Amino acid sequence: MIRYDHVGLRYGIGPEVLSDISFNLDPGSFHFLTGPSGAGKTSLMTLLYLGRKPTRGIISMFGQNIGAMTREQLVPIRQRVGVVFQDYRLMNHLSAFDNVALPLRIAGKPEKEIKNNVEELMHWVGLGDHMNALPNTMSGGQQQRISIARAVITRPRLLLADEPTGNLDDEIGFRLMGLFEQLNRMGTTILIATHSQVMMDKFNHSRLILDKGSMTVVPPKPKAMEGAA
Amino acid sequence: MSKERAIGRAEKRQYDLPLNRGSGTGFLVILIALMTFLGMLALSASFALSAMTHRWSSGLENRISIEIPTQDETGKLLDRPTIRTLTQNIAEGLKGTPGIVSIHALDDAEITKLVEPWLGTDLAKTDIPIPGIVAIETSTSDSQTLQAIHNKISAITPNARMDTHEEWLSDLLRFTGAMKLVAMILAIVIAVTTVTAVSGAVRSRMALHRAEVELLHLMGASDKYITRQFQRHSMILALRGGIAGAVFGGIILVLIGWIAGQMGVAILPDFHLEPVQIAMLALTPFAASLIATISARWTVGRVLATFP
Repeated sequence: MIRYDHVGLRYGIGPEVLSDISFNLDPGSFHFLTGPSGAGKTSLMTLLYLGRKPTRGIISMFGQNIGAMTREQLVPIRQRVGVVFQDYRLMNHLSAFDNVALPLRIAGKPEKEIKNNVEELMHWVGLGDHMNALPNTMSGGQQQRISIARAVITRPRLLLADEPTGNLDDEIGFRLMGLFEQLNRMGTTILIATHSQVMMDKFNHSRLILDKGSMTVVPPKPKAMEGAA
Repeated sequence: MSKERAIGRAEKRQYDLPLNRGSGTGFLVILIALMTFLGMLALSASFALSAMTHRWSSGLENRISIEIPTQDETGKLLDRPTIRTLTQNIAEGLKGTPGIVSIHALDDAEITKLVEPWLGTDLAKTDIPIPGIVAIETSTSDSQTLQAIHNKISAITPNARMDTHEEWLSDLLRFTGAMKLVAMILAIVIAVTTVTAVSGAVRSRMALHRAEVELLHLMGASDKYITRQFQRHSMILALRGGIAGAVFGGIILVLIGWIAGQMGVAILPDFHLEPVQIAMLALTPFAASLIATISARWTVGRVLATFP
């Protein structure tokens, strides 16, 4: 579903921050993206959510070569990708409800459907009582949950999350990981950028390890070995 | 349900982007109000000039005036009965001339009314000599006909003057044409200023809210979706400013009309607008709004084209 062939990225005339990255994300797969700080995780995430074009290599998403597509043709591709940003990127002038509803409105869904879906999801993430609150009056954890709800509200085919449980306590963090796994079982491909060894140990998924701009893919442990670590 | 403080509660959503936040909105409304006001004045001036041209030129085509001066060739003042006799002689003498449709020798009352705007209503009571005037209507204005008439007049009264109105009328038309051109240029300058102001305002809004615009873009909002928000915002602001400017302009135009009426300057046309002209003036705010909408659309489109 997602295929990177010898992809490189540099900013301006600087050195390559990503070099010769090649990997595949199969439909319905679950991956962690990890590596030390400055390894290029955020740059790779930026390429994945089409926030930037690579300086070399071929990126194919949902069976289409991204490099050969016009800006207009990229619109439906972007709508199939949900993103949880590390800094949440919420619209501070909009209510929590309207923030979560944003991708549905962009997709042109009817207001009734938006209301039902958003209310249900907000209750699920524990923010049912904060629908009309403005994000900047909420705690970091609450804002993160709004950000996650916004990313999953359209049931995207690919979900990218940059440190999605970083500001959450373990209970809510595991609960949200449960939501990601649930989405994954429904067919969404998940890629989570994280530093959390605990999270990666608890949830046995393939790891894309970035170091100094290069990637190593570590497959999940065989079922028999789960829990042995 | 937890009780949220009112300050933390969101207002009703108008746009996905925080376009109503920050300064600059009021400035744009005032600017468009002024532009609409100036646009209305320019348009009204153009209408007034057209009315002036129409009034002064209508009926002067194929019309000739023959003036019998109040002095003879030696400079001696003629009395009124003599002038009247000379006038009648010319009127009679021209009868039957090919190309002449009608001949009318103006009496003192008609002449007095004609010069009333300049000399007032008491001319008849004074001793000021009044020239004789014969108004002729011709079927054509070709030079042969005019020459034939001129020859006949010269034969009857050598110092009579023939005026085809062409000279002063063409000067007048040139002047009003130039004035109309100035009004048109003014209208274009107003439109260009509006486009520039709206584009600048939209550009600064986009720069101010670049992060939010980028977010919408990354979430799969099409250029059309994002553009629509700026378009709608600019349209509403322009409409608000346009209506305010039009109301102010309307008041000023009514005042000008009233003052012109009070002054009683008969040489100028009445400041009276036709229904179609009133409708055109009433459409000015909508024109401003349309210009603002198109400018916003164009500007946003250009900025979004730089996004990946």
